[in-house]
Amino acid sequence: MSEFFEMGGYARYVWPAWGIVFACIVLNIYLARRALDRARFEARKRVAMKAVDAQLKGEAAT
Amino acid sequence: MTVREGITLQAESAPATAALEAARLVLARDLRLAFRRPGEILQPLVFFAIITTLFPLAITPELSQLRVVAPGVVWIAALLASLLALEFLYRDDSHDGTLEQYALSGQSLTWLLFAKTAAHWLLTGAPLAVIAPVAALALGVPVSSVPGIVASVAVGSIALSLLGAIGAALTLGVRRSGVLLSILTLPLAIPVLIFGASATQRAVNGSSIEAPLYLLAAIAVLGLTLAPVAAAAAVRISLE
Amino acid sequence: MAWTWFHRLGSPPYVYSLAARLTPWFAWPAAALILYGSYLGLAIAPEDYQQGDSYRIMYVHVPSAWMSLMVYTTMAIAAAVGLIWRMKVAHAVAASCAALGATFTFCTLVTGSIWGAPTWGTYWEWDPRLTFQLVLLFQFLGYSALRAAIEDPQRADRVTAVLAVVGVVNVPIIHYSVEWWNSLHQTASVMKLGKPSMPPEMLVPLLVMALGFTFLFAALLLTRLRAEILSRERAASWIRDVVNA
Repeated sequence: MSEFFEMGGYARYVWPAWGIVFACIVLNIYLARRALDRARFEARKRVAMKAVDAQLKGEAAT
Repeated sequence: MTVREGITLQAESAPATAALEAARLVLARDLRLAFRRPGEILQPLVFFAIITTLFPLAITPELSQLRVVAPGVVWIAALLASLLALEFLYRDDSHDGTLEQYALSGQSLTWLLFAKTAAHWLLTGAPLAVIAPVAALALGVPVSSVPGIVASVAVGSIALSLLGAIGAALTLGVRRSGVLLSILTLPLAIPVLIFGASATQRAVNGSSIEAPLYLLAAIAVLGLTLAPVAAAAAVRISLE
Repeated sequence: MAWTWFHRLGSPPYVYSLAARLTPWFAWPAAALILYGSYLGLAIAPEDYQQGDSYRIMYVHVPSAWMSLMVYTTMAIAAAVGLIWRMKVAHAVAASCAALGATFTFCTLVTGSIWGAPTWGTYWEWDPRLTFQLVLLFQFLGYSALRAAIEDPQRADRVTAVLAVVGVVNVPIIHYSVEWWNSLHQTASVMKLGKPSMPPEMLVPLLVMALGFTFLFAALLLTRLRAEILSRERAASWIRDVVNA
């Protein structure tokens, strides 16, 4: 088992390399989902504002 | 008759020769306007001279060592000077609406932009091909390398003008686009830099510069056929 | 029949719901493939007789490199489709690629650099393939910078599309750079005509990881694409149904 972590003496190269890549993957998953959440939030806001606008215009017309 | 009227009239006559005629008019106009402000023509060249001067000051005044880096230094300075001049390529015409007139004229925008790029090369690239060997000599290269340097800078600067025209078209209308223009154009210009510096290095060493020179010429020819088309597309998009 | 499919892809609501449905089909297999590939590559694959265990960096380096090229190509194709057929969705795809492409390129450069230390004795070399890979990173960053600098969204789409298409020339340069120049990099051992020159015990984990990375790219692209489509559609009526669902 410790042999596995030692990587034949190359541990200080192999593990940082793999670590950086996995960190980038996790970061990208997080950022993509955050972008989608934010877009949904903004879209919901716009739809709501449009509804309020329409309502006010309807009231102003009457 | 102004150039704009001339170009629009041309659109009504035979289209094929009209494009060349219109291009010739645009080229003549750009050159004439540039010579009214000789200071602007000189600026990139002075910039080139200053940059080549910085290297001996920053690295070492030893000619024997400068000779080693001379090809690269000359080429980087030429690249930067070319980029500086590019900003002026479209700026004035886009500000006063001439570029829009070109796009609306019914003439081939590709040919008109090719003419503008040719003007840029005549005003920047060709003079650089003349003063680059002077700078290289100042950095310690042997006199025998001068023809090779002239050839490689002349051909390479054609490619640079063409690639830069694409970058300038893409950043049209972006405020303070100078740095962005460089960021976009430099990646495309790297092969030119590699082969140009290689040709210059071989000229300094005394070996044949054929191989990199042909590759530079190939890039220039490829640019000649494709760059004005891409630039025209980018200009039309920016003017929409 | 094929044209109906193509036209449907031009409809943002259709693409949005399609992306939503497809994402899990890429995301979960991606996770499984990457985990399995990592297990194979780190624990099962045999030691290299020259490089010992350090070669295992290859299992993240090479898939990242392949992905960086694939992402740029995808971006360029989407950009071209957007320019030619004036499809907003295609431009949205191109925009979604930029961040992912930059990440893969960055990973390629960093893992390559780390791998280079024990193998070539240096963290960096101005080797043609490394240099052009660095150029690719600049291209992704330049694309994003140009997009951010143009205010009008349609103009931004189309101008960056021209940039993406013009810059695609770097992709074959990177791939063939090891053949055209004397390079520290080894020449292609997998992506060449004929049989790959790697033993299967070493090759299989690589292919598994590559497939996993591809599925990951697809899942992330679809997620970002949904975000792009939502932010572009302003207050179109179909959005109401989607966000209130």
